[in-house]
Amino acid sequence: MKKHIYRNPVGVSKYTGLLLILPFAVGAVLFILYPFVSSFILGMTDYSGVGEAEFTGLRSYRDMLADSDFTQAAGVTVRYALILVPLKLTVSLLVALLLSCEIRGMGTFRTAFYIPSILGANLAVVIMWQYLFKSSGLVNQFLGVFGVSPVSWYGDSRFAMLMIVLLRLWEFGSTMVIFLTALNSIPREYYEAARVDGCGRVRAFFSITLPQLRSVIFINLVMQTIAAFQEFNAPFMLTDGGPLRGTYTLGMLIYQEMFRYSNVGYANAVSWMLFAAIAAAVGLMFVLLRRKGEDER
Amino acid sequence: MKKLPVYAVLTVTALLMLYPLLWLIGASFKENREIYSSMWFMPSRFDLSVYRSAWRTGTGFTMGHYFLNTFRVIVPKTIFAAVSSVLTAYGFARFDFPLKKLFFGLLMGGMFMPAIVTVMPMYLLWSRLGLLDTYIPLTLPSLFACEGMFVFILIQFFKGVPREFDEAARIDGCGTLRTLVYVLVPCIRPAIISVAVFTFLWTMNDFLTPLIMINSTEKYTLSLALRISVDSTGQGYEERKVIAMSVIGLIPSIAVFALAQKKFVSGITAGGLTG
Amino acid sequence: MKKLLSKAAAVCCALALSACGSGSKSAVTPPDGKLDKCTLRFSWWGGDDRHEATLEAIKLWNELHPDIGIVPEYGGWDGWTEKVSAQVSGGTEPDVMQINYDWLITLSPDGTGFYDLGALTDTLDLSGFDEDMLSFGRVNGRLNAVTVSVSGRSLFYNSDVYARLGADYPATWDELLALGGDFRSADIYPLDLDIQSGGTAWYLAVVYIQQKTGRQFISMDGTLGFTEEDIANALRFYKELEDAHVIRTIQTRTDEDGNAALYQSAEFIGGKIAGVLEWGSTVGKYEAVLGDGVLEAGPLLTDAGGSSGGWMIKPSLLYAVSKGTKYPDEAAAFIDFLLNDKQCAQILGTTRGIPASRYAEESLEASGKLRGLAQESDEQLEAVDTMTVSPYMELPRVKEYCNSAIEKVSYGTAGPDEAAQELSSSITEYLEKIKK
Repeated sequence: MKKHIYRNPVGVSKYTGLLLILPFAVGAVLFILYPFVSSFILGMTDYSGVGEAEFTGLRSYRDMLADSDFTQAAGVTVRYALILVPLKLTVSLLVALLLSCEIRGMGTFRTAFYIPSILGANLAVVIMWQYLFKSSGLVNQFLGVFGVSPVSWYGDSRFAMLMIVLLRLWEFGSTMVIFLTALNSIPREYYEAARVDGCGRVRAFFSITLPQLRSVIFINLVMQTIAAFQEFNAPFMLTDGGPLRGTYTLGMLIYQEMFRYSNVGYANAVSWMLFAAIAAAVGLMFVLLRRKGEDER
Repeated sequence: MKKLPVYAVLTVTALLMLYPLLWLIGASFKENREIYSSMWFMPSRFDLSVYRSAWRTGTGFTMGHYFLNTFRVIVPKTIFAAVSSVLTAYGFARFDFPLKKLFFGLLMGGMFMPAIVTVMPMYLLWSRLGLLDTYIPLTLPSLFACEGMFVFILIQFFKGVPREFDEAARIDGCGTLRTLVYVLVPCIRPAIISVAVFTFLWTMNDFLTPLIMINSTEKYTLSLALRISVDSTGQGYEERKVIAMSVIGLIPSIAVFALAQKKFVSGITAGGLTG
Repeated sequence: MKKLLSKAAAVCCALALSACGSGSKSAVTPPDGKLDKCTLRFSWWGGDDRHEATLEAIKLWNELHPDIGIVPEYGGWDGWTEKVSAQVSGGTEPDVMQINYDWLITLSPDGTGFYDLGALTDTLDLSGFDEDMLSFGRVNGRLNAVTVSVSGRSLFYNSDVYARLGADYPATWDELLALGGDFRSADIYPLDLDIQSGGTAWYLAVVYIQQKTGRQFISMDGTLGFTEEDIANALRFYKELEDAHVIRTIQTRTDEDGNAALYQSAEFIGGKIAGVLEWGSTVGKYEAVLGDGVLEAGPLLTDAGGSSGGWMIKPSLLYAVSKGTKYPDEAAAFIDFLLNDKQCAQILGTTRGIPASRYAEESLEASGKLRGLAQESDEQLEAVDTMTVSPYMELPRVKEYCNSAIEKVSYGTAGPDEAAQELSSSITEYLEKIKK
């Protein structure tokens, strides 16, 4: 076995880092490892929330693959993540660019733009969305101006999905804040040098801003992917997973199995599948996007 | 004059963003029937007494009481989360140590698991420790940097600071902690502030964990108190009172964001990369 | 490995079952020679009126029994099931709980999940309830809970709209179907049925088939009573209502109301939808959005021959005692007070529906507190030969199967026969699993 060489600054023990993360190490055992182990075990039983549980091994995992609810929810979840994540990153980056210019009153605008994210799935948002997207709602009236016939937003699963995506797009706040934080750390000199070289704004964006934002794009990509895969609240509030389960995400399925249907064992097993899917997706991002960055430093 | 189009775009978009809030405030003066049947925010009449009854709630405790409860959770939690996340992220970003890969895996893994899965095991743990119906289950985990997301964000920001900074500090005689406090923290202050703000905002909205862990109405946090009158299985309720309560409940979040937003974009270029 | 895992699972579940008990220990100084000095935790969900009335009732209890303190734990409905499930699986539930009907099955599948109240009749007087009423709370022969109030769904109409169109409230199924014609030309629907958590679409179809066949959809002990043909007929009946413009299709309904309940819908408030099938105990919220006296109770539908069976009732709420309580007699005494005490009944009024206990009901009747649509609905249902909603029919999973079948038939992704076959086999399979 090859001995690992710890690369640390001179005079720093290999235990310094461990000491720094000591609180986390303790917490990880209590608050991550312990629930994980119990959830993994529960996933191999038929526990219903009360009474005795029987050990069923991998049966839940086999059932899952045969369960059309599961396969459909998995499809919905992946589709949702694929649509939402790129859109959300783009929109929040654009808004962050807009909000990063220092003009008078910008603070008020930044706050205003964050408010949707504070509201979350507040009743007001749910009712607002109804007024916007119901058959006689504002969106359809607006489309009607251009001769588009009324769209069945709530009643057609494709459009219902789009509607949920739009809600989450509108709540771009936290992604935008992270972009904003990073945008201002890009040295002004870079842009000045570019201007001297006769480089236009758009070119400067692609040749300076984007590369400099590399690591926050990565953060946001990872975080939004995780959030999209675990999506629960938006379809729960807006469509209850319908119509015809077209917006029934894995997050909803887990919640319903766990708390509504007292199918705790199964819910835990599904969670592990979701866990594996997210781990695979994020792992892929680390491999594809991060390696180059690691070498650079 | 050149800025006029920017202002125009910003104002129009901001109105779109703000309309639901505006409507929410208007709705706090409306009868149920008006709430459900009109998208126009302006109520047909203003009657401020709804805010008086919202503040009193129907529970024997005022909203002030629930605000205090919430702050008793949120203040320690935010401080805990910021400090422990910074230390942990520093350890991961700057040092190599035994079991690093394992712990980093746990950190990421903790984010991948849907949170509701951990609710029951944690409930049983706290119940065996006899700590249910206290604020410890709500605050203590933050002391251990268990919000993987925050640590993850901070690690990335730490990595954005050139290592030469640390080395220079070490040459000047700074130890591990002093390097962190005097050199690195100032560089990534906006990120730390955003983590603290996120902790604050997300804790304000968190519902399921306090619901499960807290039993006594006296100890309810704001997010629980806001739904205490909502009984969708029952005879129905006065929506405007619930809405008025939620409008009051939004004030701290909006205020905290408004106060913090300047910090997201300030200071870094001076102390940071170009320095 | 497998053995180890199953051992770990056993530990995990033992952990889940380890009851911590509740209530605080203190010196035993019997106030009346019978009950101990103690503190009881009492939990319920509800809205403001219920909270205020219950807190008031607790105050009265404290005057009468200063030695038995009550710690109230209450909140809104959202998440309450989750909270109580967590408590029961951790053995940390309150001594006295207001519970929902289907929790009897999910939280006490074999009847041992709650304290057997049959053993506490020293302090709990059950003489105000007849055997039918008590049977709602029995699981496996053990009295797990006592019914607080009983309610059934009946039909309510927007009288303004019906008067404007010159239509009478339907009395038979045929009349209901015939209404669609006139209403269609006015672009109004005479009734609304949903597939949300209420699931009124399936409920009405069940009533129709139960009346026709005399068979109960799911029996009290959890067996499917409908044949596959019955289920197909129920689905066909539903589809017929849609086609006849009696109700909106699921898609139209969803497009117009989104995920909102009918009483939150502009269509209902604006009179585009002129009827609703609702529990008598909760119809108040529909009444409230329409203005005074607009909503009126209509007759329970019968067949052409006047046969009125098939309509259903169920306990809307029950009280149960924790199986781990240290003070069962005291908890029973408190429940007795909540259910039977005349003064308490005056305070609580109808905040938990029309009381099932004869003593409380008489007390309210005497003071003229029983009025309105809830009472009318109650009387209507008392006048016909009702069936009881099986707690198994109330299970969220069963409801979801039924709603899903209705949805498929409405969208046309499955025919009634195909959907019936699927529904019948899913329900049978699930019921077997749950009773095991």
